[in-house]
Amino acid sequence: MTDVVSIPETEIAPGQVGGRMERVEDERLVRGLGRYVDDLDPPRVVHVAFARCPYPHARIVSIDAGQARAIEGVLEVLLPDDVLGRTGPISILRPIPEAPRVMPYALPREIALYEGQPVVSVCATSRAIAEDAVAALDIDYEPLPHLSDVEKALADDAPILHPELGTNLLVQNPRGDGNPDAGFAESEVVVDDRFRINRVSGLPMETRAILASYVPGVRELEVVASTQAPHLFRKQLSDSLRFPEADIRVTTHDCGGAFGLKLGIFAEDVLVCLHAMDLGRPAKWVEDRMEFFRGATQARESLHVARMGASSDGTILAYTNHYYVDLGAHNSPMGSPMLSSLMFQGPYSFQHGYVERNVVLTNKVPVGAYRGYGQPEGCFVRELLLDRIARKLRIDPLEIRRRNFIRPDQMPWQTPGGAKYDSGDYQRCMEMAAETIGYEEARERQRALRDEGRYLGIGLACYVEMTGYPGSKFLGKHGAEYGAHEGVVVRANRSGGVDVYTGVPPIGQSTETAFTQVAATVIGLDAAKVRVIAGDTQGTPVNTGSFASRTLIAGSGAIERAGREIRDKALRVAAFMLDVPVDGLELADSVISSVDDPEISVSFADVAINAFYGHRLPEGELPGLEATAYYDPISSAFSYGTAAALVEVDPETGEFSLDRFLFVHDCGRQVNPMTVEGQLHGGIAQALGAALFEELVYDGDSGQLINGSMIDYFMPTTADLPKIELDHTEVLSPVTPMGIRGIGESGTIPPGAAVANALCDALAPFDVDINRLPLTAEYVWRLVAESRAHA
Amino acid sequence: MTQTLIDVRLTVNGEPVERAVEPRRSLVDFLRHDLGLTGTHVGCEQGVCGMCTVLLDGEPIKSCIMLAVQADGAEITTIEALNGEELHPAQRAFKEAHGLQCGYCTPAFILTSVALRERGLDIPREELKEELAGVLCRCTGYQNILTAVETYLAADD
Amino acid sequence: MKPAPFAYERAASADEAVAMLDRYQGDARLLAGGQSLVPLLNMRLMQPEAVIDVNRIPDLDGVREDNGHVRIGALARYSAIEWSPIVGARLPLLSEIVRYIGDRQVRTRGTIGGSLAHADPTGEMALAALALDATIVVQSPTGTREIAARDFFLGPYFTVLEPADMVVEVRFPHHTMVTAFAEHARRHGDFCVISVAALGEPDGDAGWKTVRLAVGGASHRPFVADEASAALSNTALEPDAVEAAGAACVEAAEPSDDIRASADYRAHLLPIYVRRVLDQMKARRSQGAT
Repeated sequence: MTDVVSIPETEIAPGQVGGRMERVEDERLVRGLGRYVDDLDPPRVVHVAFARCPYPHARIVSIDAGQARAIEGVLEVLLPDDVLGRTGPISILRPIPEAPRVMPYALPREIALYEGQPVVSVCATSRAIAEDAVAALDIDYEPLPHLSDVEKALADDAPILHPELGTNLLVQNPRGDGNPDAGFAESEVVVDDRFRINRVSGLPMETRAILASYVPGVRELEVVASTQAPHLFRKQLSDSLRFPEADIRVTTHDCGGAFGLKLGIFAEDVLVCLHAMDLGRPAKWVEDRMEFFRGATQARESLHVARMGASSDGTILAYTNHYYVDLGAHNSPMGSPMLSSLMFQGPYSFQHGYVERNVVLTNKVPVGAYRGYGQPEGCFVRELLLDRIARKLRIDPLEIRRRNFIRPDQMPWQTPGGAKYDSGDYQRCMEMAAETIGYEEARERQRALRDEGRYLGIGLACYVEMTGYPGSKFLGKHGAEYGAHEGVVVRANRSGGVDVYTGVPPIGQSTETAFTQVAATVIGLDAAKVRVIAGDTQGTPVNTGSFASRTLIAGSGAIERAGREIRDKALRVAAFMLDVPVDGLELADSVISSVDDPEISVSFADVAINAFYGHRLPEGELPGLEATAYYDPISSAFSYGTAAALVEVDPETGEFSLDRFLFVHDCGRQVNPMTVEGQLHGGIAQALGAALFEELVYDGDSGQLINGSMIDYFMPTTADLPKIELDHTEVLSPVTPMGIRGIGESGTIPPGAAVANALCDALAPFDVDINRLPLTAEYVWRLVAESRAHA
Repeated sequence: MTQTLIDVRLTVNGEPVERAVEPRRSLVDFLRHDLGLTGTHVGCEQGVCGMCTVLLDGEPIKSCIMLAVQADGAEITTIEALNGEELHPAQRAFKEAHGLQCGYCTPAFILTSVALRERGLDIPREELKEELAGVLCRCTGYQNILTAVETYLAADD
Repeated sequence: MKPAPFAYERAASADEAVAMLDRYQGDARLLAGGQSLVPLLNMRLMQPEAVIDVNRIPDLDGVREDNGHVRIGALARYSAIEWSPIVGARLPLLSEIVRYIGDRQVRTRGTIGGSLAHADPTGEMALAALALDATIVVQSPTGTREIAARDFFLGPYFTVLEPADMVVEVRFPHHTMVTAFAEHARRHGDFCVISVAALGEPDGDAGWKTVRLAVGGASHRPFVADEASAALSNTALEPDAVEAAGAACVEAAEPSDDIRASADYRAHLLPIYVRRVLDQMKARRSQGAT
């Protein structure tokens, strides 16, 4: 079923679904009136700093806090013994299937497992004094043999980091279907390689931060945190602090970027709450950037041993990938990035595929969720292998993909990885990308330039992205500590609109604006009169949070349900007030009027006021005009698209320029096309950053992080990124409210592969194969040099 | 140790300010926590990310690597100086172009643009990218930020 | 990251500044632009007893012409140098190079004196001083002395400056030579992987009299490539001469591995960048640029 709905943007009012509504968030944010955690300075606030283990693996032999405690302004020092008796472990929100749960405690009892692990917590009247106290601590460490990568961790003589496990291989998760061995046997060509994916940081501009206030006896632990999921944060705090959840409130007013790093609680959050509770004063911790590089969740590092086989016409016959995730010292709240497994097939129709995820423990900062959640890695490996097959068979990369795409009439499609694709026209996006980039002309120019000794390359990569979860039952089966649903309270206000209460916090994803548009459209209101109150556990239904590209799908469904209830009641009450049949009324732009005679009308505001007072209501109708509703998705929805890149490479130095980059995608119905573009720009920028510039480098001998600072971590600036060209189709999803698909992570998935394929294409005369990231000039130079040496 | 406090007298957003501060107090911490002007943000304290950009005598500087005591005698402009009932043209340009998402870098980019416009030059896009390269953004990929700044710089008075 | 506590002093003159430095016996740091110093203080990588703010010292930030030289006060900001018409006219190479330093905010505050004293081995300002044969004027409690740029830098973050020394001025002879500059960096405005600056004095139609090459990022300090320069002087920059110069630069370099690049890659890039810069210099001569 291909329902390509092309809704001309000019026809849709900004405040409606599909409109380019300017964001409601912006009025406060452009004025610098956002309220990030550190903007709050309640009276008598105190500040927390941590002593962090400087070694990748060490026994804590002794801690002498005497000098630290003696510093004027130091209020409390918490050592492991002060904490372990009264706190529980930090739970894992999304466990790795079949894996033992390796849950950290707020402080280690005896052994620190990564450089940066908090070992002592200090609270003082200022952050500067807290740091002075940390410097005055006398901590005796005994460095232990450390494991700085997965190979070392899996070696026979490797020290076992968690003795109770008996191994550093936390779990092995197989997934797949069919008979890949048979497929390889039949293949005309088989390619394989070991792909090294770099360890990176999501690097939000605001680091982690928490402010906790507690008044003894009043049973209120009030927390303001920079988090993606206030309700989950609340639950985990309750578990770890052994404090009733009902007495905890968590609020996120504004968050300066999260991208998966701010999902769930961390050791520091537990410790700050303890200080607040012990001292009866508000306690604040704002992570500094040096701590961030050694403590905040890191991402993506994995080794993929992958293989693809195809027939002589380029039809993929088999694909396998044994990959090793460098998890770091323990689980992060979101486990390890999972979707390299579930989504390994991408948009292609092969039936024989097997993927095995090996999760390996090492002495590094824990790896967890970062935008894409394993999909960028999986896409990189698959798309590069496909292009290698294309080169070997001398089939154009566009053509080989045509021969392998799942077709729209084959939807819904069950993949060997276990996903059920809902709908989509994958080939169409690729053809649009090819046309926009001028594929044929580029090939001609490539041929002409090669004669001049210049090397132009064209590269593509196609992806399918899982957005949202297939229901709460699915998550329950997988041991997740959250559901797939969203819940909202929608309550009419006296200004002619509604107040939408949602637990989803603002993290830059424009949810307040999108929810405004959905509510306005569903109910029939002037968008300017809708308010969204977001990110406070007090007053909002228990919900999940902003991650997994799920919020808009589930949130829209909940708003739709609640909105319909309100709309229906408003019409009934209006009919009574106007003394006309309810069937003849419509609600639009916050006015209820008769279809036949618009003069017969009443404002939504007046209906609401009447409903609140209850003075003139029809028989049997209760006062009030509000609804609480939940929506649980029935299926994930799958966004998709193609990235295309044009590069020119100098084989002498490996330097290359990314001359054009474009991205054609489908995320179903776009609630706000402007913010969709923004999400893609941001995701693509992060993808290009991770593919071309960024890497967290651990020294092989010392096991320490070499470049843990903004000076040496190469996040791209305005001057480093090209113009990003976008285009889209809008195939509605049949399984979501309004046909919406998620978009938050799409941008991160194919760009690295597209650029890598472009480089290999440019350097085809040198027959180079790329198998690692990042794609630095030096790396490209080495590839060419090695190839020349072998020739 | 209790440090000797140093007197600083400066002008912030047109208002005279006089305080006694610790030598090690950074200008950004002073603005945010001593004066309550929290529109300027902190991202790294290493002078790289630019979240802390304010105008010192009209020019953009990174206030996380300036000591508050160094600002004695200076005129500091923060994002709050632009705030009124109506949006300042630079603020409006960012809103219209969707040049922000989480908002953390936005005051820094807006102030940098304001200083650029004051210089009154015609700046081509490639050079504009260089002028803005001192502020990082992780949300927008810079695309709409450039559009916002170009629009603002090109607008009539 | 908050600095460890330190005392704060303000110097009203260079005399006062060096006297204070002397009093603290090496445990004080001069604070000029602060773009290098304050991050180090914030990270507690430096914990001096005192910081001496020299920003108030009058008449130390000027750019002026004097008898065939351009005299730049140690406290002149990068942006002042960038926009100075005198520098643009008399020292176009300096004008060009300063744009590669940091970003707009850093250039608003950072100073030439601070940069040279900091002596980052990849520092563009140090490279410019070497390439342009600058003289660095240093004041101490015992008086003033002048040091040639090529004698100033000893190693990474290491110069001939004594604890009570302060750079007060940098003096550049006018150069009427054609110049060119190129660097390779991991991203815009970043510390360079390698950098090459060239100056050449045209001779006749296609020849060159004196040619000078300076290299940054390829050793523990930036250096003037004397042998390479000699190999190019009095030639027409023929391919053989350029190749020999490239090889001589590599010979003189001692590159290291670091987070930005390996020593091998630096050694590989160096002769290529020498060639590129010389090509640029030739092109500028044809265009009539000096």
